[in-house]
Formats: sequence, C-alpha cells, structure tokens
Amino acid sequence: MIHARSFVLLAGLAPWLAGCRETPQAKAAEIQAVEAARKQSLARRLALADADPAKRLPVAQWIMPPELREISGLALTARGTVLTHDDNIGRVYEVDPRTGILLKGFSLEGGVRGDFEAITTAGTDVYLLESKGKIFKFKEGADASQVPYTVFDTRLGKECEFESLVYEADSTRFVMVCKKIRGRNEPHEVLIYRFPVPLDLATMSMLRVPIEDIVGSNKWKGFHPSDINIDPFTKNYVMIASREKGLLVLTPDGDVVRSEPLPEGHRQPEGVAITPDSILIISDEANEKPAAITLYRWRP
Amino acid sequence: MPVLREVIDVLTMKSDRPVRRLVAYYVILGIIVAVAAFFFPAEIARISAKGLGDVPEGPSVLTDALSSPNTGVTFGLGSLLGVAITTVLILIGALVLILPVTWVYMSARPSGGQHNQNVVQTLVILPLVVAGIVFMVQNSLALAFSLAGVVGAVRFRTTLRDSRDLVYVFLSIVVGFSAGVQSLAVGAVVSIVFNFVLIITWRYDYGRNMLMPTAAAQWSRPLQALASPTGDHQIPDRDLLLSLTPEKANALADRFDRVRDTIGKKKKARYNSVLTITTDNVPNAQKRLEQLLDKVTKRWDLDEVVTNVGKPSELYYLVRLKKSVPRDILLTAIHENASDVIASVDLESSGELAEEKADGKG
Repeated sequence: MIHARSFVLLAGLAPWLAGCRETPQAKAAEIQAVEAARKQSLARRLALADADPAKRLPVAQWIMPPELREISGLALTARGTVLTHDDNIGRVYEVDPRTGILLKGFSLEGGVRGDFEAITTAGTDVYLLESKGKIFKFKEGADASQVPYTVFDTRLGKECEFESLVYEADSTRFVMVCKKIRGRNEPHEVLIYRFPVPLDLATMSMLRVPIEDIVGSNKWKGFHPSDINIDPFTKNYVMIASREKGLLVLTPDGDVVRSEPLPEGHRQPEGVAITPDSILIISDEANEKPAAITLYRWRP
Repeated sequence: MPVLREVIDVLTMKSDRPVRRLVAYYVILGIIVAVAAFFFPAEIARISAKGLGDVPEGPSVLTDALSSPNTGVTFGLGSLLGVAITTVLILIGALVLILPVTWVYMSARPSGGQHNQNVVQTLVILPLVVAGIVFMVQNSLALAFSLAGVVGAVRFRTTLRDSRDLVYVFLSIVVGFSAGVQSLAVGAVVSIVFNFVLIITWRYDYGRNMLMPTAAAQWSRPLQALASPTGDHQIPDRDLLLSLTPEKANALADRFDRVRDTIGKKKKARYNSVLTITTDNVPNAQKRLEQLLDKVTKRWDLDEVVTNVGKPSELYYLVRLKKSVPRDILLTAIHENASDVIASVDLESSGELAEEKADGKG
C-alpha cells in the first residue's frame, strides 16, 4: 500500500519537477531581455551623469553572486568585458560591466589556492598576482573549464605585500605597486616596481612617490594601494586604496595628477578599471554589504 | 523511514546482512541525488562540490543594485531564502550521510558488546551542528580557530567506553565539515568508504588475537548440533535449555512443532517468539492483550488457549517482535496494560529454532 502511494506521488511530482527545470533556451531568452533593458537603462544614466558632472553618482551597480564575495582585482578585455577573480581560489570570472551579466567562469588547473589580489591581461595572456609577488600566467578558458598555468616568482614578497598589477601596453611592462612595505608601519613613500614582459627581473626599475605628495589635502595617514590600472586616454596610473577609500592618479613619471576620496558607499574597494568609453569601474569586496561592481562616468 | 526500509527490503530481498543493506541504501541515495542533480544541477553542485577547484554555477545575471530596491545593496528576501535553502540542503545531506554510519556503529560491535545510545544520538546530531558552524565561518580566519574549538569539544568531558567510538565521532565531524564547506561529495566518499571498511573489519574480526577462538568457532558446535536432522527439540541457547524442566522443555518442543507447521518452510520465520500468559480471566485478558499486541508487535497470532480448573488458564501467542520494541519493552507494556487480569507473562524466542528445524528436516 505504501509502495503504491509512493509511486503515485512520484508519478504526480515528476511532470511538475520536469517543468521546474530551467531550459537553456529559457535562460538565453531571459539573458537577452535583461541585456537589452539594461543597455537602455545604462545609456540613460550615462546621459544624466554627463549632464551633471558635479554629481559623482554611480551609473550602475551589479551585486556579485555569493561565490564572488571576496572579489578582488579587475582587468579589461579587448571585448570590453572585465575579468575578475576570487581572493582565495584561482577562479576567474568574466562580467559584462554594461549589463551585469556573468558571462563565464573558469579555474586554474587543480583548483589552486592562494591570496590572489590582482589580475591583468596582456594580449591573449591573463596574469593573476598573488600577494607575495607570484604571478600566474594562463590563457582564458571556456565556461566551467580548468586552464593550465605557469608561475613566475618575482621574489619581491619578502620586501612587499602586493595587491596591484597592471600591464602597461605602451612600454610592454608590468607595473606592480607595493601596498605595504614589510617591516615598516607607515612608510613615507609608495613603491612602484616595473619590469618588462616577458618577465625579466634583471631590468626591473623602481619608482618612489612620496606619501605627502599623494595625501595632499586629504586626511589620510598614508596610502595603501589595493589596485592599479591605466587611464586609456592619458596613460596615467589610476590607483585606489581600500584603507583610505581614496583614488590616486599618477603620471608614469611619478607626478601626482590628483588624489581624492572615492564616492560614498565603498566599504572595501579592491579593484579598478577604466573602459575606453570613459566608464570607471570599481569592485568592492563583501563587507557588511554584498560584493559589488560599481560604474561611474570617468573624468580624466 | 518505513518506506525507505521497505525499499531497502525489496532491494536486499529482506536480507539482514549489513553490507547488502548498506549497498542498497547508497544505491537509493545515489538515485535520489542523480534525479535531484538532473532537475536542480546548480543547487546540488553548490552543496556537493563547492571549493574543489571547479567553478560553481552562480546566477548568470547579476543583481542590479540601482534599480532593484528589493534586492538593493543589502541582502534581501531572495538571498536570505537562498541561504536558508542551502542550509537546509547541507543539513539534510549531512544527515543522510551520517545515518548509515550510525547503523554500522550499532551493528559492528565486538562479540557481546553493546552500543552506547548516547554516542548514536551524538553521531546524528554532531554533524548538523558542525555543518552549521563551518557554514557560518567558512572563508575566514575564524575557521582555523573554530576547527580547533570543534575538535576540542569532542572530549565532552566524558570518557568513551570504547576508543573506537571516538573514530565515529571524528567521522561525524568530517561529514559536518564537508556539509559546512558545501563539499558533500567528499563527505559522501569518506562516509561510504568508512562504513564498508568498518563492516568488513568487523565481519572478519580483523586484528583479533590469533590465540583466542573466533566468535564463529565458539558457536560452531551448537550450530552443527542444531542443523543435525536428528537434533529434534534442541534449542540454540544452552543456558535457556538448562533452565527448563523436562516437562517445560517437552511442552515447548511441542509448541515449536506447531510453530513450524504454522510458518511452513519459508526462509524467514513469520514469528520469532512465543508469548505465554497465565490468567484467571481469559476473556478480559485476551481482549486487553490483543489490543496491545496490535500496537507493539509486527504481527501476532493466538496459538492456543489451555483452560485449567483450579489454577490459572494459559494463553499462547505467536509473535513477531518489532525491532523498535524489544523483549523487555514488550513485557513492560503488558504488565502496565494488563497486570490486573493476568497472573504471569513470559516471552520465549523461537524463530531461529523453528527456521533451522524446518531446514534440517527439509
């Protein structure tokens, strides 16, 4: 009797459960609809931001899924999307910043773990920076795939804790900024390491920027860069600092163009990127609020 | 649970062998997980393989914080519901993985050893608690400290009777952790391998002192005597045999013969005990007893009523005990419900005898 009832129940539930299953077609249609609506919405918000440049209001903010609560660096791709990554595991995600659609996610082979802090692209190569100065090089993978990688140790981990890496295409070199100089509580300068790609430490150069130049009129006690990127218009270095919640623009020669607080609402900014169509993208790690990517109109 | 038990019975052809029942359980579990993974792949992947190197399937469309006030920049109802569902799933996962471990724990005891009910209940509850703790603190520095705390808590300020009990407790923690970090696949593999290794080591008495006789050797002689075609009216328990008077033994043997005729030559006995009641009030005693037997036994049959003059009459019932109502509990229930109408009550196990005798004569 119990058997009969169980089978009847299962037989009744099966069609309903089958109906609940999300089909790829339905998913694609939903994404297309969202994409169209959000592109329109973004265009309207950008127009509003351009009309009132004094207001530094976000033009979009995308809440990250729980897997990306420890989101860190950002890197623009040639397609106009951004690559971002998990802080603890070698996982990279591609997000369309204009629509907030998660396009794909892939992992480094073997689910490698580490304290990953920054990501950048150089041609078809992608580079992940680990806080102790190790750089993981790999190619983009398909959705849910695992990609092979090679590791290059800069051996700078004993001197610095890193959170920033960017590829400077014009001079084909990496730029790494020291967030914290080991053994010094409040250093009087920000150290910027630069070395050519292919990676060659023998020709590495170092740029020192005095803290007082960076702080300027702000009430910061120091500046601890959490990410760096290149302004596509001026080729200046754009840095953000999670601790100070500040933004710094430097020329490649080390001259401070401007340093200012980030707009309100950033609890833990960890990544920065600027698109060729003048959109500033800032990623925030989850901290009381969920992790998010916020877009602003960029003014060089 | 009765449905699950019935399904396991069907798959194992009602075998009592623990390995067969374990295999059946895991087969059923595997089918359920496969069906669930087919219909809800993201949810199953989230609780079973997260953190193992592959990419979890998150939502393809990120939440718009500027134009969705309900989901905004703070956690909304949707995300809370998501967390609640994930929590429920990992707790259910931990539970279904730890249940067979408790069965193994209760079955795989050394000869004559009794399992500790407190440990059984701890094994069930502990992974749920551990899963909850780990789910709360994962991906944070606090995890390292909570690990130490959880392992330290295992001592419970009490001494476990058998040092092997501690291994079960640690497995319980492993299952809890795997659920907590949403990697139930690891917990499943560990739990399955653990169960089978333990059952096999118990079955073959692995690691016994070679100078000591095995449990099978101790029972081989009485079992051989029992299997003998000429060994009529023998009963397996030597102590019980010696405690019977010749008259009682003959009466019991006659009753066992009737039992054999009742149950036929099926492999599994329909009844495994004879309930003997003496009473001065047969109608009332019969009514009260049969109402009770309906509730507390698997099946029963009135075998014989012996009416005596000058001394209490006797009622004999053939009974199949429920596993959840052992002998002592049944006798206590009879005393509680019918003590005013019965003079005495006794319960004798006879299922194995009837079965073996039937086989021997067949």
